[in-house]
Amino acid sequence: MKPIVFCLLAVCVGALISEAAWLNIPIEKYTLKNGMRLILSKDNSVPVVSVYIIYGVGARAEEKGRTGFAHLFEHMMFQGSKNAPKGTHFKLVESNGGSLNGSTHPDYTDYFEVLPSNKLALGLWLEADRMRALAINQANLDNQKEAVKQERRLSFDNQPYATAIVDRWPELAFSNWQNSHSLIGSFEDLNAATVEDVARFFKTHYAPNNAVMVISGDFDTAAAKKLVDQYFGDIPAQPQPKPPDLKEPPRTAPKFEVYRDSLARVPAVVIGYPGPARRSADYNALVMLDLVLTGGDSSRFQQNLVKGKKSVIQYEGNLGWPFASATDYKDPGLYAMYFLYNPAFSGKQIVEQVEQEIAKVIHDGVDAAELERARTFLRSTRIRQLQSSHARAALLGRYELLDGKPELINTELNDFLSVTADQIRAAAKKYCDPDKRTVLDIVPAPGKQEEKP
Amino acid sequence: MTRLLPLLPAVLILIAQGQTMDLTKPPQTADLPVYKLPPVFETTLPNGLTVLLVEDNRFPLVTARLGFHAGSKYDPKDLAGLSESTGALLTEGTTKRTSRQIAEEAASIGASLNGDSSPDSLVLAGNVLAENLPKFLNLLSDVARNANFPEDEVALRKQNRKQELEAQRSDASFLADEKFTEVLFDPHPYARQDPTPESIDRLTRGALVDFRDRYLAPNNAVLVLLGAIPPRKQTLEMIEAEFGSWQKKALPAPPAAEFPEPKPSIVLVDRPGSVQADLRVGRLGVTRSEPDYFPLLVGNTILGGGTSSRIFMNIREKKGFAYDARSMAQPLKDSGTFAVITQVRNEVLTPALNAIFDEMKQISTQPVSADELETAKNYLSGVFVIRLETQDGLASQLAATKLMGLPLDYLEKYTTRVRAVTADQIRVVAAKYILPEKASMVIVGDASKISKQLEAFGKVTVEAAK
Repeated sequence: MKPIVFCLLAVCVGALISEAAWLNIPIEKYTLKNGMRLILSKDNSVPVVSVYIIYGVGARAEEKGRTGFAHLFEHMMFQGSKNAPKGTHFKLVESNGGSLNGSTHPDYTDYFEVLPSNKLALGLWLEADRMRALAINQANLDNQKEAVKQERRLSFDNQPYATAIVDRWPELAFSNWQNSHSLIGSFEDLNAATVEDVARFFKTHYAPNNAVMVISGDFDTAAAKKLVDQYFGDIPAQPQPKPPDLKEPPRTAPKFEVYRDSLARVPAVVIGYPGPARRSADYNALVMLDLVLTGGDSSRFQQNLVKGKKSVIQYEGNLGWPFASATDYKDPGLYAMYFLYNPAFSGKQIVEQVEQEIAKVIHDGVDAAELERARTFLRSTRIRQLQSSHARAALLGRYELLDGKPELINTELNDFLSVTADQIRAAAKKYCDPDKRTVLDIVPAPGKQEEKP
Repeated sequence: MTRLLPLLPAVLILIAQGQTMDLTKPPQTADLPVYKLPPVFETTLPNGLTVLLVEDNRFPLVTARLGFHAGSKYDPKDLAGLSESTGALLTEGTTKRTSRQIAEEAASIGASLNGDSSPDSLVLAGNVLAENLPKFLNLLSDVARNANFPEDEVALRKQNRKQELEAQRSDASFLADEKFTEVLFDPHPYARQDPTPESIDRLTRGALVDFRDRYLAPNNAVLVLLGAIPPRKQTLEMIEAEFGSWQKKALPAPPAAEFPEPKPSIVLVDRPGSVQADLRVGRLGVTRSEPDYFPLLVGNTILGGGTSSRIFMNIREKKGFAYDARSMAQPLKDSGTFAVITQVRNEVLTPALNAIFDEMKQISTQPVSADELETAKNYLSGVFVIRLETQDGLASQLAATKLMGLPLDYLEKYTTRVRAVTADQIRVVAAKYILPEKASMVIVGDASKISKQLEAFGKVTVEAAK
C-alpha cells in the first residue's frame, strides 16, 4: 500500500520548506444539495473507519440567560432520535464494536463514531437519524440537565483550579459576553432551559448546511458516497444562522486577579495575551514561539524555569488555551499559558520570570539550532498525531469548518516550518505585550467556605 | 505493509447496498472483522534481552518500548515511589550526557523519550522519526544503562514531586484510588502505588542507584521496536551494537504473590467542602492468565464497562445520580482488582449505593441475556482492534503482553477467548468477584454531610484526607 506520509531520508533545513508533498493525507471534498459538506480520506491499512461530524455552533453562540446551552444540547444528541430511541445510539455503536463521543467547544460541537470498517453504514445511519429528527422532550431534557449538573460538580465544582479556569478566566480576559461567559454554564441557566429552546437550537444550528462530515480510514469510496446520499441527501437545509458578534474592544491595560481556591493545595497562575487572526502570518509565528517556549523538554520554560530557576513545576501553553489549541483556535482569542508553581515564589514573580523569558526571545532572538529543534519537534509530533483515523478526521473536519481548507492538514506544516527567527521575535514583541496581559493567580485557600449550594 | 488482513469482501458491501433502503431501521452489516496480528519477530540476545520487532511502514516513525520488571511493587516499604522516580530520572543525566543534552538531542532527532512506572513494570517509552533510529537507540541505551542521577536533579525531583503529590491529593478521585488500593492489597506492596511526602523525603541518590543496579538489566527487560524499521538483519545489528555489551545480572526474587482475604469494610475519607461523594466498591480480581479473567472481563463490560452497560444506563441515564458511573476489572501481573466507580451528589448517596448493590447482586445471581452478551463481546472485540490502530497502541500491548508473562499469541487469541465466554461462566465469576457481601467500600466526601447515610450500610471508619 501507499504510505500516507512520505519520509524524506535526506532532510536539510532549506529543503523542507519547499517540500509540499511531505504529508499526503488523501482528501476528497464535495457538497450535497442541502449544503452538507463531505470529506473522504481513505486509508485501507487497518480495518477501522471513523465518522466525524462537526456542527458550526459552540458555546460562543449562546444567548444571555442560557450559559451552558450548547453543551446541554450536545447531551441531548445522545438521548434518542426518531428511529433510534433512547439508549439505542450507545447500544448500537458498542454492540457493533465501536466507540463514540461528542464534545462542545467555543466555536463548534463535534460527534464521532470509530467503528470496525464493515460497520460504516451504522455510524452514518445514526448520525443521519439524529440530524433529521432528534427526540426532543421534557423527560430527556430534565434527565440531561441533571447529568450536566453532575458533570459540573464532578469536573469543576469538586476540582481544584477548574472553576477558576472555566468560569473566572474567560470573564477576566474577555470583555464581550459572547467570549467571556462560562462554557459549562450556571445551574440557574441550565434550569431555565426549555424544550422550545432545544427545538429552536436544533432547527437553527443542526441543519446539514451547518455541518461538515468526515469519513476517514478503511472504506470503499463509491459505497460510502451512496450511503451518504441515501441517508443525508433529503434532510432539508435551513437558513444559515447568523454568526455571533465576537468582536473584542482593544485592550489597553493589564489585568491581575487573585482567585482563592478552597480545593487547591499548590498555587497556579494563568497568563494570557490577545492573539492574532487565525492563519495569519502572526498566527504561524506564534505557533513557533510557543514551541520554543513550551515544546518538549528542551524548551525554554523547561530548561530555564523548571530547571534553572526551579520555580515552575508544570506548565502548558497554547493559542486558545484552555478550551482550544492552535489547531482550533479562532480569533478573538488568547495566547495563554498555565503554570503550577513552587509556593516559595509568588504569582507575580512567575509572571516576571515568564516575561523575562519572552523578553530574551525579543532581544536575543532564537538561534538556528533551537529553531531547527522546534521544527523537528513539530514534524514528529504531527506524524504521531496523524496515526489514527479519528485524529485525521477531526483535523480535516475542523480545518474545513474553520478555514474552508481541509488540505491544510497537508500544507500547514510548511507554513509553520518556514517561519523565520525574526518573525518569531517580531510576533513575541507584538503579542506578548505586558500592557495587554491578563493574569489569574490561583492560590490555595484552605477553609474557604463553598459558596455554591 | 497492510497491518491487518482486509476482511470484508466487496461483495458483502454490494449485497447490503442492493437491499431496499429502509431508513426506519438500523442498516444490516456484516459480522465483525477477524483480527490478524501483524507478524511479530521475537528473539533473545545472549545477555537475555528479549527483542520484539514489527514492521509498519505507513508512517516514517518508529515506536519503542524498553520495559523492565521493576514497577512499584519492587519499592522497599519505606521508599514508596522509588520505581517511579527512577523512571523519571533516567532521562535527567547519564555518564555521557547531561539532562539538557538528552532533552536537546531528543528534540533534534524528532524523538520523545520518557520513563514511567506502573505497579509491575518500569517502561522507557518513545517514538522517533524513522530516519534517526540509530541515534535514538544510542540515546535509549545510554539512559537505560548509564543514568547516574545527578544530585541536583534528584533534589529538584524531590521538591517538585512533593508539590505534584499535593496537587494530586487535592483531587478526590486520586484520594479514592489511593485509599482503595491500600484497603484491598495491604500488606502486599501493590497497596503502595504512589509515594508519600515522607517517602519522598527519604529518597536519596544512593537508593536510586541501588534500584537501577538491581533491576535495570537486559535479562529483566523486553525491547519492542515497531514501525518503519530497516530490514531485520540491519535492525538487529543496530540493537546488538547498543545493547549487546550490557551485562546480565542475578535478579532478586519478586515480592511473593500472597494476597489478603477480602475484608468487607467502609472507609470514609473526610474531604470537607466536597459537593460529591466519590466512591469505589469492590475487591481483588484476577490476572490475565487465570481462567476466570475472560468471563470477568465480559461480565464487567455488561455491568459497567461502557455507555450501554447496566450501571451507566441505571445510575446516569435513568436516575441521573452521576455523570461518571462504571465498573472496572483491572488485571495486574500477580493479582487484579474489580471496582464500581462513581461520583454522586451528597443527597442521593443512599439510593445510589442501593442501586449499585442491586446491580452487583443481579449480575452475580441471574444469567445475563443473550443480547447483552453479544453486545459486550462485539464491543470488546471491536475496540480491541481500534486500540491497535496506532504504533503506540500496538507497542504498548506487545510490551505489556511480554511483561505480564503472557504468551505472544495472547493478542491473537484475545477475540476468540472473548467470544467463548458463556452466560453461566459470567454468573459464576461474578459470584466470586462482584457479589457485594465481601466488597470493600471507600468513599471520599464531606463527612459532615454523608456519614449518617453511610452508617446505614455498616460500620464506618472515618479518616482525614491526606
